[in-house]
Amino acid sequence: MVKAKKDLIKSPKDVSTSGLPLDLLLDMYRRMVTIRKFENTIYDVYSRGIMPGLAHLYTGMEAIAVGVCITLRKQDNITSTHRGHGHLLAKGGDPNLMFAELLGKESGYNRGKGGSMHIVDLSLGILGANGVVGGGLGIGTGAGLSAKMLGEDRISVAFFGDGALNEGLFYESANMASLWKLPVIYVMENNHYGEYTPSSRSTAGTGPARAEAMNIPSVSVDGNDVLTVYQAAVWATERARAGQGPSFVECKSYRWRGHHMGDQGDTYGYRSQEEVEEWMEKCPIQRFSKHLVNNDLVNPEQLKAIDDEVQILIDDSVEFAKQAPYPDPSEVFEDVYA
Amino acid sequence: MAHEVVMSQLGLSMDSGQIIQWLKQSGDNVKAGELLLEVESDKSTVEVESVESGILHIVLEPEDGDIPVGKVIAYLLAEGEQPPVSEKLAVPTATPAPEPAVASPVVMAEKKLESGGNKWPRPNRPPSTPAARRRAKELGIDWRLATPTGSRAAIKERDVIQLAESLKAATSPAATPEVQISPVARRLAESVGLDLDQHVQQYPGKRLERVDVEQIIRRLISTTQTSAGSPLKVIDNSPAQRQSMGRLRSLIAERMTYSTKTYAPVTLTTETDATELVRIREGLKADPKIEVVPSYNALFAKLVAEALLEHPHLNASLEGEEIVFWETVNMGIAVDTERGLVVPVVQNVQARSMHELALEIEELLPRAKEGKALPDELTGGTFTITNLGGYDIDAFVPIINPPESAVLGVGRLIDKWVVVEGKPAIRTMMTMSLTFDHRLVDGGPAALFLQRVKQFVEQPYLWLV
Amino acid sequence: MSMHERIGTIREAINEALHEEMRRDDRVFIMGEDIGVAGGVFKVTAGLLDEFGPERVRDTPITEAGIVGLAVGAAMTGMRPIVEIMFSDFTTLASDQIVNQAAKLRYMTAGQTSIPLVIRAAMGAGRRAAAQHSQSLHAWFAHIPGLKVVMPSNPADAKGLLKSAIRDDNPVLYFEDKMMYNEKGPIPEGDYTVPLGEARIHREGTDATLICTSSMLYPAFDAADQLAEEGIEVEVIDPRSITPLDEETLVNSAIKTGHVLIIDEGYQNYGVTAEIAARVQEKAFDYLDAPVRRLGAADVPIPFAPSLEDLTIPSADQIVEIVHEMRA
Repeated sequence: MVKAKKDLIKSPKDVSTSGLPLDLLLDMYRRMVTIRKFENTIYDVYSRGIMPGLAHLYTGMEAIAVGVCITLRKQDNITSTHRGHGHLLAKGGDPNLMFAELLGKESGYNRGKGGSMHIVDLSLGILGANGVVGGGLGIGTGAGLSAKMLGEDRISVAFFGDGALNEGLFYESANMASLWKLPVIYVMENNHYGEYTPSSRSTAGTGPARAEAMNIPSVSVDGNDVLTVYQAAVWATERARAGQGPSFVECKSYRWRGHHMGDQGDTYGYRSQEEVEEWMEKCPIQRFSKHLVNNDLVNPEQLKAIDDEVQILIDDSVEFAKQAPYPDPSEVFEDVYA
Repeated sequence: MAHEVVMSQLGLSMDSGQIIQWLKQSGDNVKAGELLLEVESDKSTVEVESVESGILHIVLEPEDGDIPVGKVIAYLLAEGEQPPVSEKLAVPTATPAPEPAVASPVVMAEKKLESGGNKWPRPNRPPSTPAARRRAKELGIDWRLATPTGSRAAIKERDVIQLAESLKAATSPAATPEVQISPVARRLAESVGLDLDQHVQQYPGKRLERVDVEQIIRRLISTTQTSAGSPLKVIDNSPAQRQSMGRLRSLIAERMTYSTKTYAPVTLTTETDATELVRIREGLKADPKIEVVPSYNALFAKLVAEALLEHPHLNASLEGEEIVFWETVNMGIAVDTERGLVVPVVQNVQARSMHELALEIEELLPRAKEGKALPDELTGGTFTITNLGGYDIDAFVPIINPPESAVLGVGRLIDKWVVVEGKPAIRTMMTMSLTFDHRLVDGGPAALFLQRVKQFVEQPYLWLV
Repeated sequence: MSMHERIGTIREAINEALHEEMRRDDRVFIMGEDIGVAGGVFKVTAGLLDEFGPERVRDTPITEAGIVGLAVGAAMTGMRPIVEIMFSDFTTLASDQIVNQAAKLRYMTAGQTSIPLVIRAAMGAGRRAAAQHSQSLHAWFAHIPGLKVVMPSNPADAKGLLKSAIRDDNPVLYFEDKMMYNEKGPIPEGDYTVPLGEARIHREGTDATLICTSSMLYPAFDAADQLAEEGIEVEVIDPRSITPLDEETLVNSAIKTGHVLIIDEGYQNYGVTAEIAARVQEKAFDYLDAPVRRLGAADVPIPFAPSLEDLTIPSADQIVEIVHEMRA
């Protein structure tokens, strides 16, 4: 049911985080752990030379994807980035099909033809990770356009990074979203680096300020606190569903691993190990589990049980992927045209 | 109207002749049927009748040497008539020789390619379009013969089409003039199997009458008796079987003719005592360790080769003004096959061992006999041995196998009573005949060679060592 | 397909196709700069806003990448967008969305999605609009697997090809020649479609084949008339679709005449003429009596001065000369 404007949440802070159902909290935890273990496994598998191509790990940023996606329904769309495993899993992506895709197997989401950066699952509303920085911004906005035109109860979230903030497409898309009041949420994952360049050296001003300049309400939150992200997401999704148009949510976080698996080490000469360690102390999963335990919201065994389950799940997905066959050579020429 | 008298074709293979002498003078009033001149072709001398009447005006003389068939040699003029201008250069109205543009396409293509060869990026390949080449393939002609009219001097499809049309025009029956002939004359010609097309050139524009056909026949009869290759059918009503000569027979006929005609053959004969040779061979036969026993042909091949090394003039050939001395002895051994005589050649006999020779000859001769010798195995001979011993022939006069200059004929081995050191003895005797080319070798040297061969037969140890 | 037709311009034919398809399918909508209220800079989209309203006929900011990007997203989620890019030169601004997104999403997702998108753009020189407003860049897009490229040359094909393009589930670039909007011809009435990948033989002949795209049909006709006076009968074929290309028709004609000239308004180097020439010579090689020739726009940025601009566009005289050269 669409609320009237005056009844809408005015700011994320107004979203209550006490009294949230246990399932929801455990679900948040589970999703974050799934992402963490998935990415860790990739780290392992890739290092052993079994995985072809490129892999951009989301480790350390789990709270953003989970905090946002947990407020979305199956039919809501997301577009993701080259660092998309987190969003895909948070939106409900199947680790088996994802891992198989990463290994280029026929059983993967894209039958091995897309790889890490192009995974799509329309049944979950996932319009794809994207290999072009900012490439998903137009598509995500277009999904909002179609929802509005078709009168469908569907909103769209476009994830992008501090690097993509400077791509022209962001302004082109967001401008139209604002003009036409499209149900789109622009989630800027500010991990402070665009590849190997810190945002301090690439970005004049801030993301929220730019969005505000286009009449898009914007907030900036601690991306390592899943509940804070959750609050912002609730605020933004409500706006979108109410036909109030786009919102901009900046989530500040940090990626523990290098830009991609090809980096030699997590620092690769452009950042310091101290900085990495400093941010690792702010691990979103640890923070959340501490919060849950300290506030007697869960007991540690429950969390441990989830850890173990997820580990098995991920291990199985690796096995699944390894056993899966490669695509038949004839597939090279298929699906070029509809 | 001036009637042209041309050099007549007096035989199928004649393409030129020489005027020996005119039997009439310029200004003489000649009647049809009178003898006009004597002509020599490479086969014979022929008296030629005048076909028409008129006042003779001689154009070419004996001094003019070789005159191509069809060329004008005289005119028969009407009273007061002037001979046509440029007489000596007059071209006959109908020439038997085909137009140069079409003759020998291979020669023409080669000439053309030679001339242009240097300026094309690929030698011997003038520029052309794919369509041109495809069309040429369809028409079954060589596209390189086409005259290019395309830009970049390329042969285009239209040029190939043009070529095909001109080829067709040159060879189509419509090109040769219809034979005008009276029905009686035609029946006579057909009854003797006379191919009029060849003779029509001597009667350009004239309708053949019976008397013309009779004249042709008479001429052909006289030439047949002294030359080969007459197209005349045997005028005889005896029953007979007819069979095509076949290619091999033709070739043999040609070579034999050439040989007799060109060479100055002389034959020397000697009887030789082959007892020792036979004994050695029998010994080899009896020895179980010997796998391949050399045949007599193998033994002869070797011993003759050894003799030739000492008498190189017999292993040579006359080429124009040059004598060619071959450095190896490639021995031809005549073999009789169903289709005719073939001469397989064993290469390099002088350098090879008896064993090797025995093996090769053992393999080659039966194969040649069945007609399965390879072309390479039938050429390159420098000397030939013909062995008719197997047919009970004692002696014969063999014919030299061109371009060699000698041939050895071997007769049968026969036990005879002879005198050895004053006493009678039975010896295995054999007659050998050497025909040699006296242009190249004189009797004495030839005799010495034959003597040596005899020695080698009688004393095999001389060459077995 | 109705047998009736009226005489109309290419502009009218396109307009008619847009109206008909938007009526036929609610999911079809159109976006572009000045297409709604102003009816398009070339007046091609006049009347659409009135009939279909601002939701389906959207004036956009000047934001080519954004327009195409949004269109791709919309196409992935149930719509059938038509995007107008004012001048084909400006497709460059939307390159990533066209080449890296629209063209590849179906393949990369192994068929999970399709992008039923049409991008219309005006191409062609002669308007004195200078180098950045006069190009014909269709060769670039024809080069990309996953895209289709069509170019109508006359009103009937303009209508038929656009309808087919809109109904095609793939991203199709539809290039209109800005100088040809007033060109008149028969427009079949009713639901007239022209299949993609099918060439059209406008004139039959046996002496040479002229393969010409878009506005090049007209100098080709002029040249054909001139040559006919000399007794040379040329065959004139419009491929209509660049990809997929109707190779068979083109090759058969080449085999028939043995002389082929391809005329296109893209720059000659590495252009559509080169690709068609390569395919034709490959398949008709044995029947060629002259090298396959091509005539494109001069390989220079298009100059402003009218006298200079006209030199860069393929002309009937050039066509006649080349046919003569081929047959020499």
